[in-house]
Amino acid sequence: MAEQPQPRQETMGPGERMGAILMRQRPDRVPFMPFIFGYCARNVGYPIAAVYNDPERSFWAQMWTAEMFGYDGGAMYGYASMGGWEFGGDIKMPVSEWEQAPVVTRFPAQTPEAVDALEIPDVATAGCYPIALEFAKIQQQFGMPIMVMGMSPFTSAGNISEVDILCRWMMKKPEVAHKLLKKVVIFGKKVIDHYMEAFPNYPMMAFTGEATSANQIISPKQFEEFVLPYMSELHDHILASGIRNIFCHICGEQNLNLKYWAQLEYGDPGILSFGHEVDMAKAVEVFGDKHAIAGNIEPQVIQNGTNQQVYELCKAAIDKAKMAPSGYLLMAGCEVPVQAPPYNIYVMKKAVMEHGFYD
Amino acid sequence: MATDARKKEILKGLYDAVVDFDEDKVVELSNAVLAEDVDAYEAIMDGLAAGMEHVGDLYANQEYFVPEVLMCSDALYAGLDILRPHLSGKEADVKGQVVIGTVEGDVHDIGKNLVKMMFDVAGFEVHDLGRDVKLEKFVEEQMKTDSEIVALSALMTTSMLAMPKVIEMIKARNPDAMIMVGGAPISQEVADNYGADGYAPNAANAVQEAIQMISRLREMGKA
Ligand code: B12
Repeated sequence: MAEQPQPRQETMGPGERMGAILMRQRPDRVPFMPFIFGYCARNVGYPIAAVYNDPERSFWAQMWTAEMFGYDGGAMYGYASMGGWEFGGDIKMPVSEWEQAPVVTRFPAQTPEAVDALEIPDVATAGCYPIALEFAKIQQQFGMPIMVMGMSPFTSAGNISEVDILCRWMMKKPEVAHKLLKKVVIFGKKVIDHYMEAFPNYPMMAFTGEATSANQIISPKQFEEFVLPYMSELHDHILASGIRNIFCHICGEQNLNLKYWAQLEYGDPGILSFGHEVDMAKAVEVFGDKHAIAGNIEPQVIQNGTNQQVYELCKAAIDKAKMAPSGYLLMAGCEVPVQAPPYNIYVMKKAVMEHGFYD
Repeated sequence: MATDARKKEILKGLYDAVVDFDEDKVVELSNAVLAEDVDAYEAIMDGLAAGMEHVGDLYANQEYFVPEVLMCSDALYAGLDILRPHLSGKEADVKGQVVIGTVEGDVHDIGKNLVKMMFDVAGFEVHDLGRDVKLEKFVEEQMKTDSEIVALSALMTTSMLAMPKVIEMIKARNPDAMIMVGGAPISQEVADNYGADGYAPNAANAVQEAIQMISRLREMGKA
């Protein structure tokens, strides 16, 4: 490397740094929030499943890993295959060495009749929510803001019916797709209400995210009809309930959908995270005035790339997004792979220390 | 016997009906193929399959998305169901057999389903093991069916690490089985490193690659 940039002295702690972003102020440097779950369990010697089914161990695995690498995100609970278990299907926790996250093994509604019969679950007992609520209690106990795990309608619907079936309904029986999506939104709103009642007047953020609505799967037109109205209803409900910020993970190839994502409310400010498919400069251009941008280091490179490649990707993302009007957070494009070499995660922090300071 | 012009019209009609995912039209024209004595093999290859190939291009160009592709595939299968029983002799022979699945730990099966369909269209007998498939299952199914090809899909860097392991397990039991790998994090280089016999970046190219793999096998006198 030619000129070695010198790491600078941090003047804020992780909480202050995140606080600054939420107050629309410049932190000392770009916050680093890797987006990391199963890795943390493995890192501290727990089974990967612990991050999904054991609130206590999940919390500590995440906190200790944050301490070890010196990154800013604390701990949160959630995964992408939500919906199936909550609505009465089955889930399998990751057990083998090739697994990284939960998998739906039985889909609860694969026919129009089953969609009709689908009941809105009770949040207190539905699927992962008892675990998520326990996790929230631990966050509260340690005075950290609670991250409410929101149920994003479209991806969850795909996890309830199976994606191929949902796609066929969208084309041939749109009314069935809409009926399913409506039920998911009703439940999604109940989840928010449940958290509000369980933790009255406690600081909270909400997490939402979409993968199955990526343009690798659906068209922008389909996004407009089947994703936008339901996501919008959920986000509006979250914000009306008093939660001020939504952290929304916009996964996969979403470039054709950005104009619709821009129509949603995310709070003041929201944090919008993107996969490697969406360029950080583009994200800043479309959303940067109103919301903080996060992303978009490709997980595949974090696992299989050299540390130089990871560093270069981080530097490029920081250069593009650091000056975003509402702030930027360095983050992986999706969950950090559990097999990533530790040095590659360290290198992400190094890039932030060498290129992420303001002034 | 249909005139040349009529035959052309029917084949073009099948092609268009697949592209427009007009299942009723496909059924109507497939019945016309039989009634008017058009060659069923030609109707499949130059009508239905050619249409599906164009659908693959439309998907690649983001004019069609997975929901449309699935509709086209439904239309195509409606035609295959009618025409396949009328193939004769060599044409009725399957091109080969393929075991396909998304490897253990991985739910991402949308791409795998598209690959499976392309194999089906091309006249392969496909044994689909689904998603999150235990590694031993691939070995067992290959042995049970004596398939020439095993096609493995992975969308995550975690599950892709299972690929070299499955390849090793299959080759240990049956060195002649040909393994093909694919999915977003896979490249030709990764496939080579894993000891796979074939790789394709998308569903359309998967079949061509498989056919080449099988002819390599045949040249070696093993199939
Ligand atoms: C939709 C999606 C989901 C859906 C999947 C639904 C389903 N039933 O498939 C859901 C929401 C369930 C999901 C879950 C998760 N996901 Co996801 N998901 C995606 C997304 C956005 C699109 C994948 C897709 O369907 N593409 C469309 C199809 C048509 O394309 P394709 O699969 O690539 O297939 C084509 C080619 O690759 C090829 N091909 C595919 N297979 C084969 C096989 C052979 C033999 C051949 C020749 C060719 C071939 O042909 C196909 C057609 O042309 C990708 C983003 C991406 N960049 O891929 C992330 C992605 C795959 N997910 C990711 C992650 C991290 C997850 C989770 C771990 C998140 C979590 N913490 O819970 C979980 C994992 C669950 C599990 N245990 O598997 C990461 C993986 C990162 C990594 N490298 O490890 C990705 C890459 C997102 C990102 N931006 O980083 N996800």
